[in-house]
Amino acid sequence: MVRFKNRYVLCEVVSEDPRCRQCIEDRALGLAVRDAITRVHGDYGLACCSISFTVKYLNAYTGTVLLRCRKDSYRLLCSALPFVRCLESRAQRYPCFLNTLHVGGTIRTCQKFLIQYNRTQLLRLLQNCTNEEERQCIQKSLLSCSLTEEQSQSGDEEEDDGTE
Amino acid sequence: QNIVTVCFSVGYSAVALNHVIDFKEKKQEIIKPVSPSELFPSLPIVQGTSKRIKVLTRLTLVVSDPSHCNLLRSTSANIRLYDIIAVFPKTEKLFHIACTTLDVDLVCINVTEKLPFYFRRPPVNMAIDRGIYFELLYTPAIKDSTMRRYTISNAISLMQICKGKNIVISSAAERPLELRGPYDVANLGLLFGLSEGEAKAAVSTNCRATMLHGETRKSACGVVYTVKKPRKVEEEETAVPACKKAKTQA
Repeated sequence: MVRFKNRYVLCEVVSEDPRCRQCIEDRALGLAVRDAITRVHGDYGLACCSISFTVKYLNAYTGTVLLRCRKDSYRLLCSALPFVRCLESRAQRYPCFLNTLHVGGTIRTCQKFLIQYNRTQLLRLLQNCTNEEERQCIQKSLLSCSLTEEQSQSGDEEEDDGTE
Repeated sequence: QNIVTVCFSVGYSAVALNHVIDFKEKKQEIIKPVSPSELFPSLPIVQGTSKRIKVLTRLTLVVSDPSHCNLLRSTSANIRLYDIIAVFPKTEKLFHIACTTLDVDLVCINVTEKLPFYFRRPPVNMAIDRGIYFELLYTPAIKDSTMRRYTISNAISLMQICKGKNIVISSAAERPLELRGPYDVANLGLLFGLSEGEAKAAVSTNCRATMLHGETRKSACGVVYTVKKPRKVEEEETAVPACKKAKTQA
């Protein structure tokens, strides 16, 4: 079957500054990743990786990012991701780092992984909850998350963004 | 303490806190390590499993002179309190001594400047037989471009001699933002010339082996005690045949 094979890399943006997450934009993130690839692998690396490189999905509340690249060059991309140091958007620099969670061949597998990962994160947050209301909120969202048929963004399944 | 909290949220299951001892001053005493329970009243749980996170203490000795190695052989009680001991040799002779005779768990490889000596096969092979691991740091590579070149060139020259065995990749992070997740560190290992399986091992199984090596080194005194009391073992052995006899007679 002749078709272009892609790899989808799921990452999480971790930062100390709470404002950083709200200002994540797909263009800024794409630029930061390309800049890291240039620094590590040079012009050849950047050219290889940017054949089919896009930021497919971005969730500003949880800091989840889904990147796409060609199967032949995903190793170059993955080895350059630890070198992303800061994110620039609207003339402000936010120091942060990307934590790779999962590499998959399709968006659907990445989504399945993301749902499981969010479930464990919610469980972890449940332990740190102090308010009874928040606790009930999280429990409700835990019981209701599932893989829906119409490829809806998994960002709809979390409700507790402010408690991070 | 912040760094350790970020570690746990990213997915590591054991963290070692490092003290570096440099021998530029004339006399230096080894300080007692900070107990992990002082930092955390209750250790958080690892993501994904239900075990608590381990926080270990580690000592790094920067040796540039053979007389500094005597400190390791001394019976100072404070050394025994550290879980892992690492040595950072600066000359070829010291590298040879560290790989062959010194009682350490890790040998640190310099990543911040061009190596003054080339690795040779005999001491490296002896270290692999003894169960000593070579350590590479990755935080200088993230910070600075020239450091990155030295890191990669030193790492690749090490790989060519030891064929990727017994490597541990660790961070010397001083701030929580210099840390990277375990999957990312394994990908960094690919840059250093490791194969994919070796890179993942460098982050997981080799580190666990180092921890066990440190524990066996600590409990080496315990082995001496069992040798001193052989009678106890013999008594146990004699007890077993008596039971067997009783069974057969009954």
